[in-house]
Amino acid sequence: MALPSFAHGLARYALVAALAAVFALFAALAPGFLSGANLLSVLVNNFALLAIVAIAMTFAVSAGGIDLSVGTAVDFSSFAFVSLVLAGQPVALAALGGLAGGALVGLFNAVLIAGIGISPFLATLGTLFVGRSVQQLLTNGGNPVYLPPAGVPEAFRFLGHGALAGIPVPLIVTALVVAGAWVVLARTRFGRVALATGIQASVVRYSGLRLPRITAATYVLVSTIAAVVGLILTSTVTVYIPSSGNAFLLNAIGATFIGTTFDPHGRPNVPGTVLGVLLLGVVANGLLLSGLNFYWQQVGTGLLIFSVLAIGFANRKAAGRV
Amino acid sequence: MADTAKSGEAIIRLENIVKRFGGAEALSGASLTVRRGSVHGLVGQNGAGKSTLIKLIAGLHRADEGTVEIDGKAYDRLTPHLVEELGVHFIHQDRLLVPTFTVGEALFLGRELRFPGTPFLDRAGMRRKSAEILERYFGLSLPHSALIAELSAAEKQIVQITRALIANPKVLVFDEPTAALVRREADLLFQLIRRLSAEGVTVLYISHYLGEIVDLCDTVTVLRNGRDVATLPVAETSAADIGALMVNRAIGELYPKPDVTPGEVVLDVENLALAGRFEAVSFRLRKGEVLGLTGLVGSGAKEVVRSLFGLDRPTGGTVRIKGETVFSADPAAATRRRLALVPEDRRRDGVALDLTVTENTTLASLDRFSRGIIDRSAERRQTENLVKRLEIKTDGVDALVKTLSGGNQQKVAIAKWLSRQSEIYLLDEPTVGVDIAAKVEIYRLIGELAERGAAVLVLSSDIEELLGVTDRILVFFRGSVTREFPSSETSPGEILADVTGAHETLRHAG
Amino acid sequence: MLVDAPYIPASVIEIEAQKAFETGKPGPAFGRQLATIALRGGALAVFIGVLVVFSVTAPFFLTVGNIGNVLGQSAIAGVLAIGLTIVIIAGGSNVVTGGIDLSLAANMGLSAAVYASLVQAGHGDGLAILGALGTGLAIGAVNAAAVTLAGIVPLLATLAVMNVVAGLELVLTQNTVVPASTDFLAALSAGGPFGIPVLAYILLGFTLVVAAIVQYTPLGLRLYAVGAFPDAARAAGLPVKSFVAGSFLASGLCGGLAGVLSVSYLSGSTTGAGDMLLPVVVTALLGTVFSRRLVPTITGTLLSALFVGFLINGFQLLNISSTLVSGVQGLLILLVVSATTLLGRKENA
Repeated sequence: MALPSFAHGLARYALVAALAAVFALFAALAPGFLSGANLLSVLVNNFALLAIVAIAMTFAVSAGGIDLSVGTAVDFSSFAFVSLVLAGQPVALAALGGLAGGALVGLFNAVLIAGIGISPFLATLGTLFVGRSVQQLLTNGGNPVYLPPAGVPEAFRFLGHGALAGIPVPLIVTALVVAGAWVVLARTRFGRVALATGIQASVVRYSGLRLPRITAATYVLVSTIAAVVGLILTSTVTVYIPSSGNAFLLNAIGATFIGTTFDPHGRPNVPGTVLGVLLLGVVANGLLLSGLNFYWQQVGTGLLIFSVLAIGFANRKAAGRV
Repeated sequence: MADTAKSGEAIIRLENIVKRFGGAEALSGASLTVRRGSVHGLVGQNGAGKSTLIKLIAGLHRADEGTVEIDGKAYDRLTPHLVEELGVHFIHQDRLLVPTFTVGEALFLGRELRFPGTPFLDRAGMRRKSAEILERYFGLSLPHSALIAELSAAEKQIVQITRALIANPKVLVFDEPTAALVRREADLLFQLIRRLSAEGVTVLYISHYLGEIVDLCDTVTVLRNGRDVATLPVAETSAADIGALMVNRAIGELYPKPDVTPGEVVLDVENLALAGRFEAVSFRLRKGEVLGLTGLVGSGAKEVVRSLFGLDRPTGGTVRIKGETVFSADPAAATRRRLALVPEDRRRDGVALDLTVTENTTLASLDRFSRGIIDRSAERRQTENLVKRLEIKTDGVDALVKTLSGGNQQKVAIAKWLSRQSEIYLLDEPTVGVDIAAKVEIYRLIGELAERGAAVLVLSSDIEELLGVTDRILVFFRGSVTREFPSSETSPGEILADVTGAHETLRHAG
Repeated sequence: MLVDAPYIPASVIEIEAQKAFETGKPGPAFGRQLATIALRGGALAVFIGVLVVFSVTAPFFLTVGNIGNVLGQSAIAGVLAIGLTIVIIAGGSNVVTGGIDLSLAANMGLSAAVYASLVQAGHGDGLAILGALGTGLAIGAVNAAAVTLAGIVPLLATLAVMNVVAGLELVLTQNTVVPASTDFLAALSAGGPFGIPVLAYILLGFTLVVAAIVQYTPLGLRLYAVGAFPDAARAAGLPVKSFVAGSFLASGLCGGLAGVLSVSYLSGSTTGAGDMLLPVVVTALLGTVFSRRLVPTITGTLLSALFVGFLINGFQLLNISSTLVSGVQGLLILLVVSATTLLGRKENA
């Protein structure tokens, strides 16, 4: 087993090395990259929200599926939050309503995937499309729902704009979600069983564990985590824009799978996902600052994802998987 | 077709083949000579080396020692492609037909018919020709539009055979061809084989059904423990004699069976039935007892075990576990009642290959190690204890289970239930694909379970194994229990006769 | 070790034999056949029902001119969906590990940008067409290499390629509209015989050619075998990887062609090609209900694309928000997949 473990080592090294390399590169080339203000902006603008969505995705991938409707959960949460605040409900209650709105999307997926047995890709793709139409219907054909600047309660703005001990609230929330997700996925019974489901579902069933229940719980959890982003996003921009959550989708999938190269066994994992999101964020910010053509950003990001994946899969192939 | 003039010469000859997997020898000096024009039977118990031998001929394995000759020429590097070019074709199971294809498409895939002078498929022509061939050889007419997925297992089997026939084979190798056939279809197959043989095609026929071998073949080779123990003209032997040759007396002493006095009844099965699979199955299993179940594929034995564990819902009868009637068909409920199933398909259902030894061992008993958060040192300790107790050979408890040998994977599958503190163990073919040394360790483990007061049910097609480890044996045939033997007062031959229907040829059909 | 072997002896896999025995009952197969017919009939009935409702409520709907318009408007999405269908056929219908090409929409965007930029730089249509198709083919080649050589699952490989391609389009166009008008482009977007747009004829002609190859040649049959059951294809001596690679090249080429069509339709290259991705995926997946065997087919995909086209068109004529189309698509796909899944489950029970 010497070769595979060497290859694994290489793959893990690849992600950290890529992150270190782009960091060093931009530190040298991009003026202002290393400044505290810029690094903070990377974390708040390029990292925090995507990280939460990507962690939600990590749970889905961990359980052997995928969730294309994470953006829909973000949107539903955002819509419920804004609507409840507009209706004069207390912000805390409205936020809970937002989470519930997101969880509803997960419940729908859970019925499709665990109840009926549709493959997660198709089920969540259907949810994405249906969700888009539902939002159109709710907003008279897709009009944004604004909160009048005067009527916005201070508490509402806190999630997006507030700070505790000088640390922006979105970052604190992200840190809490990351820490919580890490513990749940790596250390709890639920996380272990979800992982086993993703690796070999039939063993889970033959071990006397209730497979549909685990799958259902996973998709509800995914949407609920994604719903957190809906709250922060709405609080930041004080508007709900229909179907805007889908912007996170592809990068969240990319970050999750980049993250799998960080695990010795190629499993989806929270630290790997976080590193993946950081990599994407640093590249985006660094390319912007280095004065290179703004549009090279996406090319660079794509190439990076591509090479990390290529190394990751080549190594898995060497280890006899996939 | 084959040149009948050279009839009687060896067309396939394997000499003193040795083949090792890891440390275990699957074949240790096996020889096989198939003569041109003959119908040659190959028999042996599971693990005797049949499948390894066939894979050598198919070019899927390479011998470590010995020679493989086809048509008088020795080959060092046989490939599946080369073997086909030499005219040796294999009838595999229905798994190698595209389910969404029509019969014509499936038959002609790779050598399609076209309208002359165009690049376009002649579907009508393929349909006509395949209907013609099926009619001629099998008297079978299928609807034009029938898809492979809509065919019965037997019809799929026939399509497979027809695919091989289109290629004008010199040698046809049939590997358990009747496992999925009903009697009428099996009869057709035998007629066909006789006709092909008359036309000069050589046939190598592997089967568990000794009745078939006696009926069909002119020569039979018996494999045992990786060696050929006899090659006989069928005319000079009988199914019972062949059965006796298959049975291995040498390792008879290797069953370390402790003497345990059975305690109270923990599993009471009464008139259990599952429509179309089995009916009126009744038996009792006591603490400290080891009960054997055996029967051919489809005999109902496996289905009974599945129902007990809640994987299928029985359509009648009652099951009482420790006096309490069980209603739900739910593995979760079964494990709560301390039932454990070690499934036959170990690599699919028994262990998760890409989880570690620890993760596999504690998968069914995580609540013992977690109050919210998993106590990883506790689960590690538990796993280390079980690894030591079961003598699981691994690089450590953090090694992935796929890096373990088959026998050690099986021990992990058992360890999972020991960790769950199960009391009733259902072991489905526990030693399939496991080398002799690991087999003996698993036998020892079964004895140990019984000694500790567990009730054990072993489903196996290896009859000596059953005789060695069990107290009683139930024989299943066509969905019901046809005989019950005390293990100490019977012989392998007697049981084999009941299992295979050797008394009446082709009795298995139905 | 066993997985790739073309031949697996029964004695090793008795459980398979048993499974074959279990599913080999004639009853469920017959039931499935019936249900399949019902499902297909249902899909066609919905299609026809929608057409009838629209033609009754919107008198203009069933005119030759309007039908031609729908065909023309569906041309770009149709060509893309056909490209995707080829990949799905060769890769199998498991969308995560099987065949999918997420880079198709971005491919169209970049190809269109290349075309428009070449025209802007003063080159002729010939070179521009070569440039666009070459771009598409190159993208297909990268996908093919990533999937068959590097072994990345198609979903991820094409996702990464999609990002790169979309980025290159931005670099090339600076995220602006690049206008392009030539006689050739004008001819493409003009009306043709019987007042039906040329684009409509192109869509039908293209479908005809691809359907002829995929549905009616040995090559196409083998493509299906490779996707539906690689082991069976290997046992029949087919080079599975070459077929998969070829399918990505073909879909890349479709992306290039769609690029050319979109330049003509929009008189230049515009941004936002990526928005077409998911609708195209749904169109290709929905197409399976229009086939007898519930498999992806070229003609089924065309019907599915036209169905979506007619929905949008009808909603517009009736002044209903055409955004509801995505909801209808989503519900349809969920219904279809639920039905097939529940059918399959009943059969196994």
